[in-house]
Amino acid sequence: MVFLTLSCWIRNRGPDRYWKVQELLKHARHFRGRKNRCYSLAVRTVRKAFVYATKARKLKKRNMRTLWITRIAAASREHGMKYPALMHNLTKSSVQLNRRVISDLAVTEPRSFLSLAKLAQARKQEGFRVALGDGKEPPGVFSRVVLLQ
Amino acid sequence: MSSFTRSAQQWATFARSWFVIDARMQPPGKIASMCSVRLQGKHKPIYHALSDCGDHVVVINTKHIAFSGNKWEQKVYSSHTGYPGGFKQVTAAQLHQKDPKAIVKLAVYGMLPRNLHRRTMMQRLHIFADDELPEDIRANLTEELAQPRKIPRKLSEYTQEEIDAFPRLWTPPEDYKME
Repeated sequence: MVFLTLSCWIRNRGPDRYWKVQELLKHARHFRGRKNRCYSLAVRTVRKAFVYATKARKLKKRNMRTLWITRIAAASREHGMKYPALMHNLTKSSVQLNRRVISDLAVTEPRSFLSLAKLAQARKQEGFRVALGDGKEPPGVFSRVVLLQ
Repeated sequence: MSSFTRSAQQWATFARSWFVIDARMQPPGKIASMCSVRLQGKHKPIYHALSDCGDHVVVINTKHIAFSGNKWEQKVYSSHTGYPGGFKQVTAAQLHQKDPKAIVKLAVYGMLPRNLHRRTMMQRLHIFADDELPEDIRANLTEELAQPRKIPRKLSEYTQEEIDAFPRLWTPPEDYKME
């Protein structure tokens, strides 16, 4: 007798399991322990890693901004000003540089940063003169106070 | 500076300086905040938490620290030995008596960020109760920082001319007896 249904019993399941597994393990190669080798452990950890990466994209923007602010504060204190005074007076002088650019200037272009600090200092003194003085500038000084009179 | 090699430029940028602060007649909190800023490296525009950019700080004359208000009697430092009934509370005056360096050390410890770098930064803080510094530390010092508080002069430090020139509210009569 002949077994005619034998060929129906052979199952050819997915031929590319190896490559599917490697595609996932390549994201786990830098992990510690068995989770960089064993698929079942790696699946869970890689999914967690991707979740962390997604959430961190928002945190990165916040952390970078605080870092820029710290650096600008340090550099402005070197020149005798504080961070809030510097930024407020720069915006009042319509300098629209963002914190990233100003912190890069503070690191790589110290003289440009010094000029920005001096500009902010001058605008600060002008603000004090407007608030406390009698509306007149010292003779020979042309500023917004004189312009608006 | 632009003629340096890149490695020399980096070495010069990230070099550690040694600051010295005189704590005579200063409030320990202000001293501690100045110390913590420089130990973390937050006074540098190249600051990053991971780049180990903190400097060394030497605090001298901590024996002559000056709390404002009644803090010598009212400020309490608590600790627990770990054993039952081992909760200890000492006032600032008692702690200063036992160890004149402890107040500044605890103040700086509390102002540093609560991470694993804190112990390393505390190792870079050098506190001395009086003026005596060892030779190797004295050789390393680069900058002295200004004191945060202006010390008021005692009456005995004013000259007689300054005392006479000071304005008077009222002149007492000849036979007025002052204590």
